[in-house]
Amino acid sequence: MKALLFITLGFLFASILIYAEAFHWQRIQEMFHFKSFHMFGLLFSAIGTAALGLLLIKRLNIKNVKGESIELKKKPMAFYSNFFGGLIFGAGWGISGACAAPLFILIGFNWKIGLIGVLGALLGAFLYGFVKPKLRH
Amino acid sequence: MEAPLLPWYIAGPLLGLFVPVFIILSGKQLGISSSFRLLVAAVAGKRIEYFNYNYRNDLWQAYLVIGLILASVVHFQFLNVSAALSPAPYSEVNPLLFLFGGALIGFGSRYANGCTAGHCIMGNAQFSLASFVATIGFFLGGLTVSQFLIPLIF
Repeated sequence: MKALLFITLGFLFASILIYAEAFHWQRIQEMFHFKSFHMFGLLFSAIGTAALGLLLIKRLNIKNVKGESIELKKKPMAFYSNFFGGLIFGAGWGISGACAAPLFILIGFNWKIGLIGVLGALLGAFLYGFVKPKLRH
Repeated sequence: MEAPLLPWYIAGPLLGLFVPVFIILSGKQLGISSSFRLLVAAVAGKRIEYFNYNYRNDLWQAYLVIGLILASVVHFQFLNVSAALSPAPYSEVNPLLFLFGGALIGFGSRYANGCTAGHCIMGNAQFSLASFVATIGFFLGGLTVSQFLIPLIF
């Protein structure tokens, strides 16, 4: 049951990204060259709508489906890792034209490229885990 | 490039709406790149501290990924959505370059503690400073590579 819920949610999330073409190499290159407003509009309106939704959850004290009150956790601030990890992630986004979810979405689009991308991401995550104790955060 | 299948002013609010809906239905906060850690932990075991955690509590991240892949197979293989898209130059992409790009995404998202979903959308919607800093990093890194490195390759 829990599995089905998350599979459905993943399916919905990917469907929006697919129809908005946010997984598409060309759309990402357009964005980084400021040639189209599409990706910026997508991200800004998504952040705005999400912020409004979270505000409503807080103000109206909306409970989750289990009836528990919702307590949002903020990611801890760690300037060095947020910024330099962000730079590295961004470089990968620019090279592959896909971020995390789109790497999985590429599997259905072009399975060879998709699997190579996911394999790369797992290798990268493994490498991070390996060198984490030596990195400044 | 032609107009996207779904314009931003529909897709963006839908993505944004997905964030509170996800929290209400699942009790979890949206994020995708944590699944990289989970998938490696499931394979690589406990020898590395970062992967030595009880990943079974986070199996929902794997189910989320199954949903992403399922959606892409349904849309591209059965509904033939890709016919409506401009062809992407993936075939021209050197597989090694793509592997490298993927590795930067995996390394960077774990180092930054989030990706476009967790930081850029979810985190910024919470006005989290960490997510704001990470988002600046995402765009500086992407802009630099896309403007200066990609033209050298294509």
